[in-house]
Amino acid sequence: MSYKGHILEVKNLCLSLCNADGAPVRILNDLTFSVRSGEILGLIGDSGSGKTMTALAISGLLSDFAQADSGEIIFEGEDLVKKSPRERRRLLGEKIGVIFQDPSSALDPLQTVESNLSEIISLRSKNKEEGRERILRMLKTVGFENPEQIAKRYPHRLSGGQRQRVLIAGAALMNPSLLIADEPTSSLDTVTSMSIMQLLHEMCQEMGISILFISHNLNAVRNFCDRVMVMKEGAIIDSDTSWDIMGQPKSAFTAELLLKSKLDPKALGISRGVAQEDAPVVLSAEGISACYKNTFFKKAHTTPVISGISLEVKEGESVGLIGSSGCGKTTLVKTILGLIKPESGTITKSGKIAAVFQDPVSSLNPAHTVRWHLTEALEASGRKMSEDERKNYFLKILEDVGLSGKHLTRFPHQMSGGQRQKAAIAMCLVQEPSVIIADEPFSALDASSQASIIKLLSDINTKNGTTMLIVSHNLRVIKAMCSKVIVMDKGKIVEAGDTDTVLNDPKSDTTAALLKARMYEA
Amino acid sequence: MRSSTASRRYLYTGGILLSIVLAFFILGLFWTPYGINETDAASKFLAPCAEHIFGTDNLGRDVFSRCLVAARYTLLVSFTGVAYALVIGTLAGLIAGYNGGIIDKIIMIFSNGIMCFPGILLALVAVAVFGPSLFNVIWALGLVFAPTFARVYRTSTIELLGRDYILQAKLMGIHPLRIMFVHILPNLMSQVLPAVIIGLANMTLFESGMSYLGLGVQPPAASYGKMLSDAQSYMVSAPWLIIFPTLMRVCYILGLYFISEWVRTSVKGGSK
Amino acid sequence: MGSAVRTALIKLCEFLLTALLVSFFTFAAFAIIPGDTARVMLGPEASEEQVEALREELGLNEPLAERYFDWLGNAFRGDFGNSLSFGNPVGDLIASRLPVTLGMSLIALIFVVAVSFPMAAVCSRNPGSIKDKSLSTAGHILFAIPPFALSMMLILFFSKVLHIFTAGRYTAPSDNFGAYLVSLLLPSLCIALPKVAMTFKFLRASMIEFSQGDFVRTAKSHGLSDLRIMLKHIIPNSAVSSVTVISLVLSDIMGGSLIVEQVFNLPGLGRLLLSAISRRDFPLLSGIVFYLAMMTVLLYFLADVISAMIDPRIRDGRAA
Repeated sequence: MSYKGHILEVKNLCLSLCNADGAPVRILNDLTFSVRSGEILGLIGDSGSGKTMTALAISGLLSDFAQADSGEIIFEGEDLVKKSPRERRRLLGEKIGVIFQDPSSALDPLQTVESNLSEIISLRSKNKEEGRERILRMLKTVGFENPEQIAKRYPHRLSGGQRQRVLIAGAALMNPSLLIADEPTSSLDTVTSMSIMQLLHEMCQEMGISILFISHNLNAVRNFCDRVMVMKEGAIIDSDTSWDIMGQPKSAFTAELLLKSKLDPKALGISRGVAQEDAPVVLSAEGISACYKNTFFKKAHTTPVISGISLEVKEGESVGLIGSSGCGKTTLVKTILGLIKPESGTITKSGKIAAVFQDPVSSLNPAHTVRWHLTEALEASGRKMSEDERKNYFLKILEDVGLSGKHLTRFPHQMSGGQRQKAAIAMCLVQEPSVIIADEPFSALDASSQASIIKLLSDINTKNGTTMLIVSHNLRVIKAMCSKVIVMDKGKIVEAGDTDTVLNDPKSDTTAALLKARMYEA
Repeated sequence: MRSSTASRRYLYTGGILLSIVLAFFILGLFWTPYGINETDAASKFLAPCAEHIFGTDNLGRDVFSRCLVAARYTLLVSFTGVAYALVIGTLAGLIAGYNGGIIDKIIMIFSNGIMCFPGILLALVAVAVFGPSLFNVIWALGLVFAPTFARVYRTSTIELLGRDYILQAKLMGIHPLRIMFVHILPNLMSQVLPAVIIGLANMTLFESGMSYLGLGVQPPAASYGKMLSDAQSYMVSAPWLIIFPTLMRVCYILGLYFISEWVRTSVKGGSK
Repeated sequence: MGSAVRTALIKLCEFLLTALLVSFFTFAAFAIIPGDTARVMLGPEASEEQVEALREELGLNEPLAERYFDWLGNAFRGDFGNSLSFGNPVGDLIASRLPVTLGMSLIALIFVVAVSFPMAAVCSRNPGSIKDKSLSTAGHILFAIPPFALSMMLILFFSKVLHIFTAGRYTAPSDNFGAYLVSLLLPSLCIALPKVAMTFKFLRASMIEFSQGDFVRTAKSHGLSDLRIMLKHIIPNSAVSSVTVISLVLSDIMGGSLIVEQVFNLPGLGRLLLSAISRRDFPLLSGIVFYLAMMTVLLYFLADVISAMIDPRIRDGRAA
């Protein structure tokens, strides 16, 4: 089954892409590397370093705007560059399987899972019964317990993780010798990512498939790949076994990349907000259940998204809310904020609650300036100020969040993601809330912005004494910032208590799984 | 806003075509070589020549002068009609999209109901009931187009409702009307502009159709549809009676189209 | 399953509601005529007795709600009363004119679909190529020419230059079905061409979008050829997204046929409508309007049903 030595050798590959004006831009520059039989090779690098282009060039899925200028791609002893498109197409799906980043729309929504997969077989054999058998077997291999039912389902009824499994089943269906995985987990939550990576690992071990694993997630690559290559500006600048490259990076760039990926909240010098002994409860929920009602005719879902949630937050403390995606965290937050009406239960708030949301792209209104946003927040809070007072107040707030007066007249598209998130926090502060609820406030930001937002929120919590409820999937951040933690699963609270107690000695499987997935955390 | 060569080409082509129509419109406001209803029995069916560059019609009227004046009606009907449709459509679409639920259902069923009348039919009925006049044509066509705008606004409003900044505004307790008009409306402009341009083009198509049937612009005024309708019997002997008004219309609609393409491509490029 | 049935019920409810609303609009349009309906119909010279007699005949003295439900009940039985100008029952008049309008609309629709899909498929494969640009520009120009001007040009070309067509010659389908179709071919073409341009533009954009989409990339990685991907994935998906546009086009086609009939001198509903307008024959007018609007409501409903048949997400009530 295994091919002698190297299954894929890329030699001096150069590739150009035409930009909007038709001029070629060099994307891959003298790229040389090889994939050994039966190994998992990791490929990391910044966005725009040419990782995806490498995957497309090997698989032959390049668009018409890209052209291979020179070089060889030798797969199982044959040069792919010299092959006709027709011949290369034959290899795809049969010898080379590819899976991509975002599984959400990677399956044809109008066709069942089986129909989506059967096209691979019907190209090559006419035996329908055998093909069906094969699909069901493969669905079982990728971890579906009920392959018959999954085969009949339409993609919109599958979760993101399930879709990615179906796509892996498709890529592995004809038992290929090489699987190219281009950021297969970056749009999935950590627990799901981990299971997908474990699946890929099993496939490598049991089916002898070599895997080229492309990722920007260094932790995942370290724990998952046999060897790692670092890519920069279209060339490999560093390559070694996973442990060596992470332990002793040979190039300065790798070292920098490594440093950036290690978001170390402890190094930020932040402390946890703890409530005083006799601190009053500022936010409490008792037995709340909620569900989405979308249409007028449609009655509520039979199963609520969250049910029987009770929690208490005391003044000045900082509480973390964790759980894998789809566990109901966001629904709970929206219910507490009053954006969703609870079916049952009561929520008691004292004082104003402000919120910071996840997506820095939509946190500010693109049609208005930062000044407008702050004025809107000020007027909504009902305070009156003279023109001068207002200006000084805004300047002070902006300074507090790490922006300056020049940002007042900026529109959202003129600022970076981190700056926008800071402006959103400034808006919260203007409202003078007693509680800030932050829903994944840093997960969509780059490493350095993440660090500054974490520091900012923590300072607001510990210095201003504003109570904080932070939703995150990043356990390290929660551990550093929060004195209490709440773990959710399937719409219910499964565990709650002091951060150290819960995270060091997990009582529930959910917490254990979250802790285990931590090593793949970005 | 960076625009590629292709989208600049759209702008130039559209701009040139539209400025031809605009030049006709402005010129027609101040000067025409002959009176538009000045008949001259001696110069019937003259082919384009030095005195009458677009020729003359069956009554000896100068086609060029009539084309100059007709631009006025074409622009007037399309712009006021679209403005009217835009106001109704904006209100209905914003309210339906923002509130959702039963209000949304009611507004949408109403607008579907209007859309079930083929546009020209509704306009014809309005004219039949209220009598043929420019004003009736305009409000009837406005009513026909309002649901289209309402749909555009509604869909985009629903899309924006999920954005964090709108959630934020709701949390701060800002009045729904202010959210609709100050927070949401400015963000819908990029979607509405292409709809407006296509609306303008469609509006002139309907207007000329109605004028062709004799139910639009009433004589002595001239519009391109009316001119074509008058010329139908003479299309073999005097093809210039058809060619020039058609050319003017094609200029106007093609011009609008290229501009809408320009808006579309440059907005797309800008957001990337 | 449950959600599919519920979605179907909702759609059916919406359909019935819309139909009711449309019937009310039609009725209201003629009930709210400024001034006295009977007086408007007869003109200023008619005597007071004549007006009163007409009022009685039309039932204008009854209360409004009662009139509406009477009218609605009769309308659904196909009874719109007698035409004032022709004297015959309105239903019969409409039925006699129907073959022209309906036939033309159907031929035009078939033409639109049969031309715009392949055209869009060809253009979307190489957006920006010479082929794409020339077809797109041709589409734009076709759209800009009003149907009646296009009709005149085509008549000029086919009858005076090629001598293979005579405007105004019409054969009833009962006499000779083949000749009936031939006589409608050119008018249908005139209605269809501007609509081809519109449908093509939309389809092209949606096909380009889908062909750059994720599931097409997956299909490519499965080793499918471009042609198979086009047939299996791109065309069905863009068909779903264009069902709404095509149903809008259909309503435009019916409107367009009213005008084109006039140019080609065909005895269809459009000419009947125009004569009803000029003679102020309101029973006939409301009958035609009701009929055409109901046809459109039905077509929209059919479009909904078809898209639910192709798209499982709509069956589950996911997409609005």
